[in-house]
Amino acid sequence: MSRPPASLTTRLARMGFDDVSAAREHVLRLGEPGDALLPLIAASADPDLCVRHLADLAERCREIGDERLLPALVDDEGCAMRLLSVLGASIALGDHLLRHPDHWGDLCDPAMGSTRLAAWWIRDRLVRAVGADPADPEPVASLPEREARDALRVAYRRLLLHIAARDLAHHVRVDDIAAELSDLAAGTLEAALAVARAVVGDDRSRCRLAVIAMGKCGGRELNYASDVDVIFVAEPVTEGDEQGALRVATTLASTLMRVCSDQTAEGTIWPVDAALRPEGKAGALVRTLSSHQSYYERWASTWEFQALLKARHVAGDAALGAAYVETITPLVWSAVERENFVSDVQAMRRRVIDNLPDDRANRQIKLGPGGLRDVEFAVQLLQLVHGRTDERIRLPTTLSALAELTRGGYVGREDGAALESAYMFLRGLEHRMQLYRLRRTHTVPDDRDEIWHLGRAMGFRREPAEQLEAAWRAHAREVRRLHEKLFYRPLLGAVAALPGEGARLTPDAAKQRLAALGYADPESAFRHLEALTAGVSRSAAIRRQLLPVMLGWFGDTPDPDAGLAGFRRVSEALGSTPWYLRRLRDEGETANRLARILGTSRYATDLMMRAPEAVAMLGDDDGLAPRGRRVLIEESIAAAMRKDTAEDAIGAVRAVRRRELFRTSAADLTTAVPVDRVGERLTDITDAALEGALAVAEREVARQRGRPLATRMAIVAMGRYGGAELNYGSDADVMFVHDALEGAEPEEAAGDAKAVANELRRLLAIPGTDPTLEVDADLRPEGRQGPLVRTLAAYEAYYAKWSAVWEAQALLRAEARVGDPDLCARFTALVDPLRFPAAGLSDDDVREVQRIKARVDEERLPRGADRATHLKLGRGALADIEWTVQLLQMRYAGTHPPLRTTRTLAALDAAVGAELIDAEDAADLTAAWTLVSRLRNAITQVRGKASDHLPRDGRERAAVSLLLGYGPEETDVMANDHLRATRRARAVVERVFWG
Amino acid sequence: MGKQEGFVLRALEERDVRFVRLWFTDVLGFLKSVAIAPAELEGAFSEGIGFDGSAIEGFARVYEADMLAKPDPSTFQILPWRGGNDGPATARMFCDIEMPDGSPSYADPRYVLKRNLSRAAEKGFTFYTHPEIEFYLFKDTPEPGVEPVPVDRSGFFDHTAQSYGSDFRREAITMLEAMGISVEFSHHEGGPGQQEIDLRYADALSTADNIMTFRTVVREVALSQGIWATFMPKPFTTHPGSGMHTHVSLFEGDRNAFFQAGAEYQLSATGRQFLAGILHHAGEITAVTNQWVNSYKRLMGGGEAPSYICWGHNNRSAMVRVPMYKPNKGQSARIELRTIDSATNPYLAFAVILAAGMKGIEEGYELPREAEDDVWSLTDRERRALGIDPLPMNLRDAIGIAENSELLAETLGEHVFDFFLRNKRAEWDEYRGQVSAFERDRMLPVL
Repeated sequence: MSRPPASLTTRLARMGFDDVSAAREHVLRLGEPGDALLPLIAASADPDLCVRHLADLAERCREIGDERLLPALVDDEGCAMRLLSVLGASIALGDHLLRHPDHWGDLCDPAMGSTRLAAWWIRDRLVRAVGADPADPEPVASLPEREARDALRVAYRRLLLHIAARDLAHHVRVDDIAAELSDLAAGTLEAALAVARAVVGDDRSRCRLAVIAMGKCGGRELNYASDVDVIFVAEPVTEGDEQGALRVATTLASTLMRVCSDQTAEGTIWPVDAALRPEGKAGALVRTLSSHQSYYERWASTWEFQALLKARHVAGDAALGAAYVETITPLVWSAVERENFVSDVQAMRRRVIDNLPDDRANRQIKLGPGGLRDVEFAVQLLQLVHGRTDERIRLPTTLSALAELTRGGYVGREDGAALESAYMFLRGLEHRMQLYRLRRTHTVPDDRDEIWHLGRAMGFRREPAEQLEAAWRAHAREVRRLHEKLFYRPLLGAVAALPGEGARLTPDAAKQRLAALGYADPESAFRHLEALTAGVSRSAAIRRQLLPVMLGWFGDTPDPDAGLAGFRRVSEALGSTPWYLRRLRDEGETANRLARILGTSRYATDLMMRAPEAVAMLGDDDGLAPRGRRVLIEESIAAAMRKDTAEDAIGAVRAVRRRELFRTSAADLTTAVPVDRVGERLTDITDAALEGALAVAEREVARQRGRPLATRMAIVAMGRYGGAELNYGSDADVMFVHDALEGAEPEEAAGDAKAVANELRRLLAIPGTDPTLEVDADLRPEGRQGPLVRTLAAYEAYYAKWSAVWEAQALLRAEARVGDPDLCARFTALVDPLRFPAAGLSDDDVREVQRIKARVDEERLPRGADRATHLKLGRGALADIEWTVQLLQMRYAGTHPPLRTTRTLAALDAAVGAELIDAEDAADLTAAWTLVSRLRNAITQVRGKASDHLPRDGRERAAVSLLLGYGPEETDVMANDHLRATRRARAVVERVFWG
Repeated sequence: MGKQEGFVLRALEERDVRFVRLWFTDVLGFLKSVAIAPAELEGAFSEGIGFDGSAIEGFARVYEADMLAKPDPSTFQILPWRGGNDGPATARMFCDIEMPDGSPSYADPRYVLKRNLSRAAEKGFTFYTHPEIEFYLFKDTPEPGVEPVPVDRSGFFDHTAQSYGSDFRREAITMLEAMGISVEFSHHEGGPGQQEIDLRYADALSTADNIMTFRTVVREVALSQGIWATFMPKPFTTHPGSGMHTHVSLFEGDRNAFFQAGAEYQLSATGRQFLAGILHHAGEITAVTNQWVNSYKRLMGGGEAPSYICWGHNNRSAMVRVPMYKPNKGQSARIELRTIDSATNPYLAFAVILAAGMKGIEEGYELPREAEDDVWSLTDRERRALGIDPLPMNLRDAIGIAENSELLAETLGEHVFDFFLRNKRAEWDEYRGQVSAFERDRMLPVL
């Protein structure tokens, strides 16, 4: 043996060997040919593995007296390339060769690169391997079972070696390799059946048994290591012997499964999985054809039809198998007509999106967004939806089906092409990963060395690890966007000719698909789509680009139909506004929020319809953040003063209010604003509207009188308004107060004040395009009988003389917020001693409060309302809680200054601090108050108008529960939570208020 | 459609079923039934059968009357008293009640139990129960103001030749077995005409379904023999009441969680805590386990019915009995609740028992001392000294305690909790105003 050149170590290192000294040993073991083969070895996926395998193999060959290996490799570069690429890519096949060193010669066949093995030939080889006659339509193994099992494993792996070599050395397309692997599986099943026949003995002739492949094997898209899904169908040979025949067939089938899956000295082939059969694992392993048929006709569920898409006869009785396929597969296409098809499809689609792990660390290529399952499922769903009317797309193989779907216009052309290439890449990657050990793995290794080898096996030469990661991520990203593309984009093709697209979805197919995606009224949805995409304008073009995504988002809201209809209205209103579509297109967040709002809230939708430019604020969180009370007031007044007539001026004030209501509502819908913050924001908005309206009314009255007013005015917020706890649907409870200017006639001042108050109410009540602001002054002294406006002195005189305890109670929430600041302060100073009496309440007063509450409970509840659940007056609801807190305030605020607040929850906190109420009791009241307030807001948001009952309508109810953060199908959980919170609150009220 | 639905649809065909009765139970424990044709069943499986919930006691809140009954295919059975062996048959299935959006209804007692079972399952436990159901057989259908006549005059375990009772029991048991309900044991009970039939151990949901079926079967068989069966807790002043002593245990997988070899009475720490939970909350759950005005007359009667909150080993006067341990029968470790009567709503009763016991496990309650004496024979002061409290004396006391029970509200859900207590208060109010035969008999002669 001549010594290798001294530079071998360096050369090996330079060629990319990892463990150079070990590699050097192996090269030395190969002798002279080793040097010649070195470049080919180095080109394999894992050169270290390859050289070790080769050295071992050469040794094994010598042991059996075969000296031809190395010379043949040096002579025949094709053979060398095939063998070495396998040895460097698969430990499992390398081990196979070491056990069966005579098999390497198979790879010398020069036709391997251009010719695939015919399915019949594969079958012949395998059947022969177990000693059966392939010419026999029902071959029976002549080898004993143990030997037959081993022989089958060896033959199987020998053929696998052949396919792997074609795959690795000749870059055969991944779908061709998958088809060859499926043929190999089919032949294997046939041979296993031959073994089973031998095991069963003569009884076997009582039945005809056919093996139907499902799943990947059925679709002729198998990979190197996966379960093989099958279904068994059998018929008795003699009429009337059904039971006996099925018993024999079951033994045959279970023996067949065992023959394939058992672990023997020669390893295992793959598990045969029959779980897709009718009734799954609980069902009979073998059924007759008519039993299959009646099952699928009546009892199968949608996903089972999806599985049948791929059914194909692969082994056993050919006539029976053909009859099965002929009888059963057409049933797939009537599945669409079944009643719950749409909801099933929806659920299946959700399952694809939701139930897959979505963390960045996830290195799965099968499951997970952007994984193989994602593509396969989506393609199958589209086949189910459209295959009924279009036979051409009824293909079992994912890639062929995708190609047909693309040709038929069901999938966009570019999308189809991109998906195909992503799918091919992912499948190729899966093949390489599985080939390594012939294990069923779908996880890309994160070990540096392994991924390096994998990258090389995938054909990346320069920085293979990095390139592989990058390519994988890019393809997965492509697939992840697939739902938008596959499901929604072609819908646009149906209504508008998309540039560069070939075939188009027909209108009927588009409607079918809209229904499957959750649109209750596909006809209207289709018309909206037509309107939105019509025309050649730039905006139509942008809308066509936007809609696929938006349609998906609408589909996730409680009311997709309303979402799409709303989008059409907004788009029509803003069609020519240049920023509108640009914003939707460029800032994904805007469009997403718009979709959510339109599909959830009629309140916000109505506001937006009147001033569509409000869409602009959806772009970012800043746009939805509150503007601040001061800013709003200044804007309101300034906007009003720029207008001449009172009507125009109030219009400007109300426009500001409408815009801010939308801002608050939209923020609440998209970012879940806490309910007390919503109350504060609505209160600020009301302040600004009243300040603006007051300014307009004062100017108008002064103008009418032709002189400056003789008085100044303030507005006192009462009730929920005073407490800064407004709901979307609340009125503004107020009292008007005025104070004559120095030297003015009291009569004249009173006349002016009354005119201003009336003008303000008139202006705010003019029907307009915004929700009117109802200004309610009924809480004033003497109620409706009393004068609308009083001077500060008149209030003082009245309260000194007449004040009843209920009036003091109403004043608890009085906050002079609007108008002359000095007057506001003086009013507050006036009422404080009344509402926070230093001595608290007498026992008589407490009893009076309780008595009034008892009467109010009885009288105020609307007829027919449910006392248990009414949101305002019900058991443990707002009124109960607020009266309880107010009673504490009246009794103790005189001595406990922190209780002096108009806000319910703040007063409750103060009461806890002063140890006037148990912290736990207070927590129960706070929880109920908060939940009920949230419910009322959510109801107004969803229905567009206020209500104190949970909605009856299922869709509205679901929307309310969704807004409150409950999951789908949890509306009754929401109802239960509401009842629990109010029951607990009621128990506290019983003790603290009535106690 | 799932496998079980498929099985049912096939069975309809094979057994020539003409009607399918959809069964569900109202809040008070009365069985409700809607009959549908087999053709409608497929729709019922996927969509449910709509009905007006406000027509069912305790189901609908005012603002939502529409509800759906969705059959549970695992409960499919042919009714043996309908049709016989060859003619067209009638079948039944228990239903779950849903809201129109598919959300399970909190008003459905079956869902109450399911909810509590899954709460226990989250902790790794399954709940098994084994009821001994007592009832009376009378010669005639009841008439107002007429004292019922029992079918016999026998006593406990008496073997009476050709008695109504044994014929009755034989036929009832045959039918129960035909419906897949295994019977463990049956015998003549202490009172004249009183019978006891014990159902085999099963998970609590199946047992509750079985009890509902059992009551129907017993009534049907009685009617077919021209007699009347009643589960009224205490039909006679002088004879014993009809209880439903219930053995309960928790399993963790295949292992009985109540069993611990070598522990006192072989009762594990889990078992002791569960038992402690039941005793601790006994007062709160009595309104459910003993829901009628009449129930409390059984509880004060002595004998097999307990009046005091205590436990004992083989102590027949205790509310909970820890039965004698049978060697090498670890799987049968259990405790026996003796308060429940035969007229309870089994779904709610099992739910509250489970919840009370689970509370004991979660909070790690200490088990109070065992009552070794016959509690009946102790004086009030002795009982107080031993820390043995009485159970509620009547329905009003029970409601009063229940109304303040957070455990009960959580367990039953707000809707059932509220409806149940309102209904029971109304029952008590109505009862309170009744002038009874007792008063007339005593007072008319002398006042």
